[in-house]
Amino acid sequence: MSLGETLKEWYRVIFKENYSPVVGGILLALLVILLEMWYRPWGIVGGLRNWGEWVLYGVGLLEEAPPHPLWFSSSVLDIGLLFGAFISACLAQEFGIRIPPKLEVIKAIVAGILMGVGSALARGCNIGGFYMAIVNLSASGIAMMLGLMVGVFIGVKYLLWEIEHFTSQGGKEISVKKISPILGIIALLALLWGAYDYFNSGKDEGALLGGALLLTAGIGFVMHRTRFCLVNAFREPFLSGEATMAKGAALSLFLAMFGVMLIKMAGIRDAMTYVEPSFFLGSLIGGIIFGAAMVVAGGCGSGSLWRVAEGQVKLWIVVIFFALTNTILRYYMDNVWEVWDKGWLGTQVYLPEVFGYAGTFLILSFVIFLWYVFVDWNEKTEKFVIGF
Amino acid sequence: MVDLSSIKADEVLDCKGLSCPMPMLKTKKALQKLQSGQILEVWSTDPGSKNDIPGMCKKEGHEFLGFIDEAGYTRYFIKKK
Repeated sequence: MSLGETLKEWYRVIFKENYSPVVGGILLALLVILLEMWYRPWGIVGGLRNWGEWVLYGVGLLEEAPPHPLWFSSSVLDIGLLFGAFISACLAQEFGIRIPPKLEVIKAIVAGILMGVGSALARGCNIGGFYMAIVNLSASGIAMMLGLMVGVFIGVKYLLWEIEHFTSQGGKEISVKKISPILGIIALLALLWGAYDYFNSGKDEGALLGGALLLTAGIGFVMHRTRFCLVNAFREPFLSGEATMAKGAALSLFLAMFGVMLIKMAGIRDAMTYVEPSFFLGSLIGGIIFGAAMVVAGGCGSGSLWRVAEGQVKLWIVVIFFALTNTILRYYMDNVWEVWDKGWLGTQVYLPEVFGYAGTFLILSFVIFLWYVFVDWNEKTEKFVIGF
Repeated sequence: MVDLSSIKADEVLDCKGLSCPMPMLKTKKALQKLQSGQILEVWSTDPGSKNDIPGMCKKEGHEFLGFIDEAGYTRYFIKKK
């Protein structure tokens, strides 16, 4: 094999082929740990809410201008993810504007609104409310995990009903396959230029934001290459029994939890970072609503975003309604009804405060291990498969 | 290897514009209605279908014959077990 052929082979493996969920899960955990070490925990909804606030401000519903999206860290995390996923989709020639049939548009609107409600109650989507909450040793993460499982079960029931009663056709794709590698390279250069600009901005947070932009672009790239999908991880055990994604997600969750626990023990991040006052009612109910909705949407918080970057119009609609609903509801919950101060939806519970670090590590490892064992056993026996 | 372009499918399923998991679910459903040995052709625009459809076939025991990339969509061919 010549050097040229070897490089070509590498290009194919890294930029064109899909990574296995195990490889993707490990890479995701690594990037999540690096991001939290560098600056802050990963998240999705905070950025969406910043964009939603700009829309509300634009139409005159908010009096004060929200923070600038390029200088607001939550927003930068989402921009990075979109960049990474777009670059991945373009280089693999998988980018294309996919226009869904009418029924899918209606599903996208309803699911988007419900995802906004669920993520407001749980103070995060499946990333901030579940994955990153567990990783940051917050009890609310476990409550949302339970909620998500119940919700996904309901969502799967709906899908099975829909498939019996409706047919929807008439979608199409506007393909840009030929020019997409060029678009990918332009996006890559723009990303690097953006990061360079942050590092040389002279502002206090410039370097932090620049690093966060690159790390979340890595997250977006890895997620898209893997088609890493927490909807799939929760859904398939019920729908087909398939557990490959669930196992990759469980492994990822365990590794990230271990890494971030060390970060918190070392005092690099404040212990209460990402420990949300939604344990357990907010996280549980929010999880149920969000779980059911994400199945109908075909994407969770992060999964919707990388599909947006791939050109799936259904997920564009989902994310718009998701962001606006979350923004409006959280505005009322935080400022008008003051639900968090009143403790209606729960309290902040930092697991190490109750069980110590060793106890927390054992408990969370056990919860994740149980999930792994359950999906593995179910894959073999199909005991909980309700699909046809 | 079968020459895919010469295959005349017994049934064609249009999943263009649909996102995960709808193409896979609809394919599974459509296969139920076919007789053993009949061929289903699926049109999908979701890149995820390239894993999902062969994966589902393997799990269910159907024979996945392959796919052809057309301008703007991909054609998948499946022979029912």
